[in-house]
Amino acid sequence: MTIDMNNASAVTLRVNGTDYPMLLETERNLLGAIRDEVGLTGTKEGCDDCECGACMVLVDGQPVNSCSYLAVQAQGREITTIEGLADGQQLSELQAAILEAGGVQCGFCTPGMLMSATALLDRNPSPTREEIKVGLGGNLCRCTGYGRILDAVERAVTIR
Amino acid sequence: MTPPVSTPVLSEPIDPAALPRFDRADGPDKVTGSGRYTADLTLTGMLHAAFVYAEHSHARLLSVDTSVARSMPGVMSVLTADDVPDVRYTHGTADRRLFAKDAVRYDGDVVAAVAATTLEKARAAADAVVVEYEPLPTVTDLEAALADGSPLVHPEWQSYDAADGVERSGNVASFSSIAKGDAHAAMADAEHVVSGRYVADASHATPIEPRGVVAQWEGGKVTIWSSTQVPFAARAGVCQTLELPTNKVRVIVPHLGGGFGGKCGFHYEAHVAALAQAAGRPVRLVFTRREEFLAPDRRREGMIVDLTTGLRSDGTIVARTAKVLLDGGAYMADGEFFPQMAAMHVAGPYKMDHCHIEASLVYTNRQPSGSVRAPTAPQGCWAVETHTDELAAALDMDPVAFRKLNAVDEGDEGCVGQIYNKIGLQDCIDAAVAAVTPEGDLGEHESIGVAIGWWPSFPGASGAIVRLDDDGQGQIVTGAQENGTGSVMTLRQLAADELGLAPQDFQIVYQDTAAAPFDGGSSGSQTLINNGRAVVAAAGRVADQLKELAAAELEASVDDIVLADGAAHVAGTPTKSVTIAELAAAAGGGALLVASGSEDPPEYPELDTEGGRIACIGDQGVAGWAGPQFSCHAVHVRVDPDTGVVRVLNIGAAHDSGTIINPLAALGQIEGGIMMGIGQALTEITHYDEAGNQLNAGLLEYKLQTAADTPNVKVVFIEPGADGVGPRGAKGLAEAPNVATAAAINNAITKVIGTPVRSLPMTAERVWAASMGVDEGSQP
Repeated sequence: MTIDMNNASAVTLRVNGTDYPMLLETERNLLGAIRDEVGLTGTKEGCDDCECGACMVLVDGQPVNSCSYLAVQAQGREITTIEGLADGQQLSELQAAILEAGGVQCGFCTPGMLMSATALLDRNPSPTREEIKVGLGGNLCRCTGYGRILDAVERAVTIR
Repeated sequence: MTPPVSTPVLSEPIDPAALPRFDRADGPDKVTGSGRYTADLTLTGMLHAAFVYAEHSHARLLSVDTSVARSMPGVMSVLTADDVPDVRYTHGTADRRLFAKDAVRYDGDVVAAVAATTLEKARAAADAVVVEYEPLPTVTDLEAALADGSPLVHPEWQSYDAADGVERSGNVASFSSIAKGDAHAAMADAEHVVSGRYVADASHATPIEPRGVVAQWEGGKVTIWSSTQVPFAARAGVCQTLELPTNKVRVIVPHLGGGFGGKCGFHYEAHVAALAQAAGRPVRLVFTRREEFLAPDRRREGMIVDLTTGLRSDGTIVARTAKVLLDGGAYMADGEFFPQMAAMHVAGPYKMDHCHIEASLVYTNRQPSGSVRAPTAPQGCWAVETHTDELAAALDMDPVAFRKLNAVDEGDEGCVGQIYNKIGLQDCIDAAVAAVTPEGDLGEHESIGVAIGWWPSFPGASGAIVRLDDDGQGQIVTGAQENGTGSVMTLRQLAADELGLAPQDFQIVYQDTAAAPFDGGSSGSQTLINNGRAVVAAAGRVADQLKELAAAELEASVDDIVLADGAAHVAGTPTKSVTIAELAAAAGGGALLVASGSEDPPEYPELDTEGGRIACIGDQGVAGWAGPQFSCHAVHVRVDPDTGVVRVLNIGAAHDSGTIINPLAALGQIEGGIMMGIGQALTEITHYDEAGNQLNAGLLEYKLQTAADTPNVKVVFIEPGADGVGPRGAKGLAEAPNVATAAAINNAITKVIGTPVRSLPMTAERVWAASMGVDEGSQP
């Protein structure tokens, strides 16, 4: 990506605990900065319209659609992406649970889904199934019909 | 292949928590973000592609001026029809070029393509291409398109090459009919006759990953990374349009973010390859969501179905006539078999001695239709199963009893004269209804609707290579394509069982046309039945090699060697064994443990068309169904009478898809297919303007179901133990769950509001209007 220097600012994004200094145009979205400047491609672009949730990341623990969030706004905040969920080779409870429950098919929605689920369990450690449905309501999945994903979140809750 | 014969068991609904774990080889990649999809790939020096699309849905192309675009900074190649071989493609009818040449025929026709150093520069250059058009009259009404004097979408259709058996005429891209007995005479004698018109709008596959293509040339060879479901078909398209031999084109599919048919066929691989060749640099194309809606020639076809059925007072079907019009859009894509498939679906899995069904795929100036998960089936099933409840109502019969009376069972003859082996349809009906029937009463404005469906399996060519390396760990090298269903991942289980190893002992090298033999790709629910056959055969040959080595090592007869638990054992002498790792280490210094498998696919059933009783069964090869699958969905809904909003609460889904090899993955297919079916039933509608331009090409305006909409789903697998066409008696699976849901929902709605909804999808507005006695109408 070539930077338009007339319209660029020096920005430092803190992603998964590491600082990444970079030059960014003010209109660049957080998704593009994470994928193209930081170089982490686990966060996906499905619509660029806040409709599919594939680009969901956590900003100071809050789930945001990074396609519609300005990168410069994230300066000074703690950004967590799918690459930040595991502890080394140790999968998080949700990552393990979604595999065990059969909640992964094509995998394209999976990163965003896991970020939303992580945020949900952080604010509500024992959600009901209806609360899980609402908590994942901003993440589209075309493969699974959601049932195995909802089961996975319930499974992660019981493991905790 | 001899399928195992077992006693049919009416299973209970599956308890997902009790199923054996399915350890996906691609699972860790997909939950950690390390898995690479096409849009995640970056090559040194890579350029970005942008397309110039038609500004009219039908116009003569007068001139394309690329001079300004070519001169813009960062622009490295600009292509039009003049820059690539003048080749028309698509196997049914060769009616399309890579770039529109003399005319554009829909709003997603590609006129030119640009590659530049940034995406922004590529898009700016695409905007700077100046195209002169002369607008032509558009064709958007299916019935008007067939009238004398209608404008033609392809005035030169007679000059196109077409495959054998594709019956064409004017705006009819493909025609098929089923003619059995004397339907008109039988109808005249029927005691009751019921007619109805059912109209379905177009919908979309809508994978969450928009497609991407990356191409890089080295010398005269090109490597293309593509988000395709069918790498070998994509390769064939590149070879045909760019006039290259197969071994100069390598198609690799990184992880694929869903397809549902939308990524079948040959799409933009050749455009990107041609851009990369012209620029002398690698090029990447990634679609926006809007492009994903507008451009691909894979839309679920709109459909008009006129059905008439004659009945005896005892409830049996005497005769059926039907006329089906399918909106084929501007180009054939893979739609040549759609008329015959639609005819099968509006006939339905019923016994009938007389039927006459005519179906036409009609060219229009809209996005081309192509295979989307069970093409023609959900709409055709919705029409015929809505009609079936109307038949039962005409006789004051219970609709479930009516279906049990008329549905095919073992030994019965269906609409095209096929006589079925042991099948599970009757059991499916019982199991689905039982799974959804509540203990108490239904709530206010609630009801349960039932529908049955069917879908074939598709035996075909496929190959694989299995090898064990010198540490006893295995590789499965296969051309098969994993689109998420888990069918390729399940190949590990088949190989492991043959070799006495664990699935985790295998890695899979897949979806690379240069590495592996041909496979048909993730289309037609064919992976496990066909590539499974190949893997079992290849692994069986490696097993034979291992047994010979073990027999020599253990001084036993080859016939006494059993492979299990990672070792070769001598039957009856448990102390005599050698590990497979030891045998593999020894083989590593000599004849290697490697074998290929393919084997002839099972044959399609021959249908008896002699003697004139069955005069016509269509001519597109999908009348006699190998491994026919059957299903019944029973759906419990609540309808808000004030708004027409339908809420799906519970679904019982019973499926005969033969032997289930991987239950957790199979469950995921049923649940996912049902949810897609609910979307198609209630919210997924495509709007067009009068000229055929798509109006709602985005996820805000085209509504998929969300997690919040998830009903309770109970799944039952009926395994009749015969008639399978894959390993262990498996049939296809992944399309079958996307057949009966919308129909069952309409039959439930009908019981609440007193009338069926005659337009699909059954949006809140249409449900409310139907309840008020108004037909809101549809667009096809």
